[in-house]
Amino acid sequence: MSIQAYSMGKKEIKEVQSRKLKEVVARVYENSPFYRRRLKEAGIDITNFRPEDIRKIPFTTKTDLRDNYPLGLISVDKSKIVRMHASSGTTGNPTVVAYTKRDIDAWAELNKRCLEVCGVTSDDVVQVAYGYGLFTGGLGLHYGAERLGSKVIPASTGNTKRQLKLMKDLGTTVLACTPSYALFLSESAKEEGIDPKKDLKLRVGVLGAEPWSESTRKVLEEEFVQSAHDIYGMSELNGPGVAIECRKKNGLHVWEDHYFVEIIDPNTGEVLEPGEKGEMVVTTLEKEGMPLLRYRTRDITILDDEVCECGMAHARIKKILGRTDDMLKIRGICIFPSQIEEVISGFEGLTPFYQLVVDRDGPLDRLLVKVEVSENFKSDRLTEIVDLQKRLEEELRDVLSISAAVELTEPRTLPRSEGKAQRIIDLRKI
Amino acid sequence: MVKQFSIFLENKPGRLSNLIDLFERNQIRVLAMGIAEAGNYGIVRCILDAPEKAAEALRNANTAVNLVEVLIIDMEDLHNAVKVLGEKGINVDYAYTMDLGRIVIKVDDESKAKNALSEAGIKTY
Repeated sequence: MSIQAYSMGKKEIKEVQSRKLKEVVARVYENSPFYRRRLKEAGIDITNFRPEDIRKIPFTTKTDLRDNYPLGLISVDKSKIVRMHASSGTTGNPTVVAYTKRDIDAWAELNKRCLEVCGVTSDDVVQVAYGYGLFTGGLGLHYGAERLGSKVIPASTGNTKRQLKLMKDLGTTVLACTPSYALFLSESAKEEGIDPKKDLKLRVGVLGAEPWSESTRKVLEEEFVQSAHDIYGMSELNGPGVAIECRKKNGLHVWEDHYFVEIIDPNTGEVLEPGEKGEMVVTTLEKEGMPLLRYRTRDITILDDEVCECGMAHARIKKILGRTDDMLKIRGICIFPSQIEEVISGFEGLTPFYQLVVDRDGPLDRLLVKVEVSENFKSDRLTEIVDLQKRLEEELRDVLSISAAVELTEPRTLPRSEGKAQRIIDLRKI
Repeated sequence: MVKQFSIFLENKPGRLSNLIDLFERNQIRVLAMGIAEAGNYGIVRCILDAPEKAAEALRNANTAVNLVEVLIIDMEDLHNAVKVLGEKGINVDYAYTMDLGRIVIKVDDESKAKNALSEAGIKTY
């Protein structure tokens, strides 16, 4: 099955998608009262459905999932559900996602494919340091690695010293975790007197669940893991395993035989062309328990439909630029933390840890960027430091189109995280 | 030639105290110290009596620290010393006083400065 998925050509992918789109629309119409109502209201003709009709189908949003809590969007009989995962639900009802046995199987297969694309084999020792539990990261990668036949260490998150000990003693070759936790592990290794180059055998990093930049890749590949790959997914779309970076690392291949991707203008809902930046919208083609039509991921990216140099025809999305909810609107201008990360990475002597503090001075928003200096920071000449701060501020203004103040902080003073990094502090009162 | 420690610190109450505490705990004596500040941060420059121990303690405390070569001369030679340096086209970047009637000088060319001063019969430490 895998080999077939890798070698699919563009034409074959389009054919498969056309067929499966028609099938999934018919399936949800038949089995989900929610979608039947939606499709009827939108005047969709199920029997004569053509692939281009997808654009007439209204978007499904996270709010729809919440409003139909807990299982209002399933498209199978409840007896066929074998698993439920849920988001944290800090702002109301959590969102619940449901899987059939076939869904779990497909999910495992997609994660196996992702690992294979990163060069992971059955000989590898895979340490899964994503959370196991309601969060889908841990189990998703676990299933993939197990299906591949690798040796899996279900380390889950936390207990950093033990993570490092396991890595060293069990000869971990593949690390799956969030990129911010990988950075933290790398830093902690040094403190524990572990030289990753000599004492560890980390070949591949499978890093996802939050947006990360080329600069983080550079730091990790220089200091910690030979090859760092971005993996994309979200619980609404099974979990991890939706898209993966191949060895060319020029975008993430979406498994198009399972997911139909569109990029839209988040404000107007209009579908954009490949190459244009917008919000990713996904229709699940294989999901059985809880298929979603045109689900708004709130992730901002760009679609590249050219065949990749690696040979795979599955379309690529650019590394996620940010989420529509992470997007900070400051003085009316949209800003993504990733833009700031890119700027910081261009300077020597700074760490990849930063924090954004948004405040209000009278009617005006103020952005403060706290940047942490590393132990290698040149700390003798005050003029050089002042100059660095000025250049940082100038470059931020060029990139963001608004001015931001830079505050330099001492090494190890900004918060580290074991899961997704909290980098924004918004102190504005509405 | 003497090694000076240049330490990056945030310009906030308690930070300097933390640093001096660290020296005390490791029985390191401060022989000379100067602070240059700019906004929310500054540089603490100091001469310490146990450089190797100090370097290790500062590294373990994850401090951003640089070691810089400086000259130390007797205060009574100051007039002659700056004259010689000026004539040889050597710039004094900064300076601060030290115990025992001495002064710490950072120049843009340490070896040239050391030779020039020694030729002029000025003692450096």
